[in-house]
Amino acid sequence: MSSAIELRGVQVDLLVQRHGFQSIKEYMVSLGGKRLLERKRVLHDIDLEVRRGECFGLVGRNGSGKSTLLRVLAGIIEPTAGMITVHGRVAPMLALGVGLEPELTGRENVDLCAALLGLGRADIERTHAFTRSFSGLAAAELDMQVKRYSTGMAARLGFSIATACDPDILLIDEVLAVGDVAFQQQCYRRIAELKQAGCTIVFVSHSLGEVQRICDRAACVEAGTVVKVGNTHEVGLHYHALLGITDQA
Amino acid sequence: MNTAPAERLVIRREHLPMLGRVAWKNVRLRYKSSLFGFLWTLFNPLLFLLIFLFIFSRAFPQVANYPVFALTGLILWSFFATTSGHIMGSLVENAPVLRSIAVPPLVFPLSQLLAGVFNLLLSLLPFAAILWWFGWRPSAVTLLVLPAVGLFAVFVYGVSLALCALNVLFRDIGLLWSALLPALFYLTPVAYPPDLVPDDLRWVAAMNPLYHFTALAREVLYLGRLPDAGQWITTAGIALIALLGGTAVFNLLRRSFIANY
Repeated sequence: MSSAIELRGVQVDLLVQRHGFQSIKEYMVSLGGKRLLERKRVLHDIDLEVRRGECFGLVGRNGSGKSTLLRVLAGIIEPTAGMITVHGRVAPMLALGVGLEPELTGRENVDLCAALLGLGRADIERTHAFTRSFSGLAAAELDMQVKRYSTGMAARLGFSIATACDPDILLIDEVLAVGDVAFQQQCYRRIAELKQAGCTIVFVSHSLGEVQRICDRAACVEAGTVVKVGNTHEVGLHYHALLGITDQA
Repeated sequence: MNTAPAERLVIRREHLPMLGRVAWKNVRLRYKSSLFGFLWTLFNPLLFLLIFLFIFSRAFPQVANYPVFALTGLILWSFFATTSGHIMGSLVENAPVLRSIAVPPLVFPLSQLLAGVFNLLLSLLPFAAILWWFGWRPSAVTLLVLPAVGLFAVFVYGVSLALCALNVLFRDIGLLWSALLPALFYLTPVAYPPDLVPDDLRWVAAMNPLYHFTALAREVLYLGRLPDAGQWITTAGIALIALLGGTAVFNLLRRSFIANY
């Protein structure tokens, strides 16, 4: 089976501005000897392969680096070292409703967000059509300014835009927590539908239950590196051991 | 299709539709939900003009047709003050997008520049009407306002790009800039004629890049004269240095953006 995503020895160092004005002062006083930005290693030695068409889970504690890893996959963060290959068009869903402009209407936001996602003219039209059918928003609601939307409505719009154009790879970061239960189920159905159509999915969560429910394989991230890759059961045991939970699963 | 993610954060031709869409959003949002909309673009310079007329028109009797003199300076200044502010805040304001979608960061400052230039060009028409009312008449030379504005826009973009990148790391830059702007306004001969500065201090005034752009715009609009080659070379040189410097600062700091938005 061919791979959708391949990472070899990926390392990510972030440059963090830590101390505000103090750091400028220290920098000046030390005549440039001290660093203005602190280099922080967030990910290191990551080798990972996500196969085409599978649903891959990423679990790990808060701050373990799983969201950063997802950003690397999305192309938002460039690795400091190592190699990454991504085959196909990536649809990032790292937060729902990102890029929505409150002052614009739902329809205008489809144009804007689709453009930000790098979609072409034909795909923008498809996004409009999909939003009309999937989001459950009435035509009048789509002509309303998004600032008048409820959180749930904005989430519906955001999810529709993100998943409209049958991406090759879908990256999801615990975004499904918003919206009502009915909509969540609709989202899971859409994800299953995309998977059926051959879409590769990377799903980040710290809820092991969800990962085990929808993923084929998973990896556990701890302290900036992948400590375990395998089926969701094995990874779940490893993750629970890390958390100090003993279970009979 | 096979893209290494790293390539996606650098702006390329394929990003043009995205750039256009974001710029258009900026244009539309600037005065959305405001009663007078686009008129606000004119309001600020006109308010200043009124104050100038009230205070300065008798102070500088040597300046022929003072309203036209002041307004040509004010149009440039107003573009500089608004656009630099918009560009400077563009990365920080769009932090949620930049943290969640692989959009080249440069899209945001660049789209603010485009929106600012669009707004300026649009405002030139009503300003022309106002200038006409004060007795100004266009000529063939007037068309040179376009390359002059173009050079000025490149300069504003370069300076603001550096500020924008620095502002991600140190929010003080934004605060510092709003404190510096009024000082810069008085340093630049907007309200007063440049020859008011004593001859032996003229070189200090000339250190201010805005001095040269104001002079160029006045040559074209106010005096209706063909600017000499020296003026074009000076302003083009300043614009180029600003662009290269701003781009260099931006690229130097680009990798640190993601952790500090």
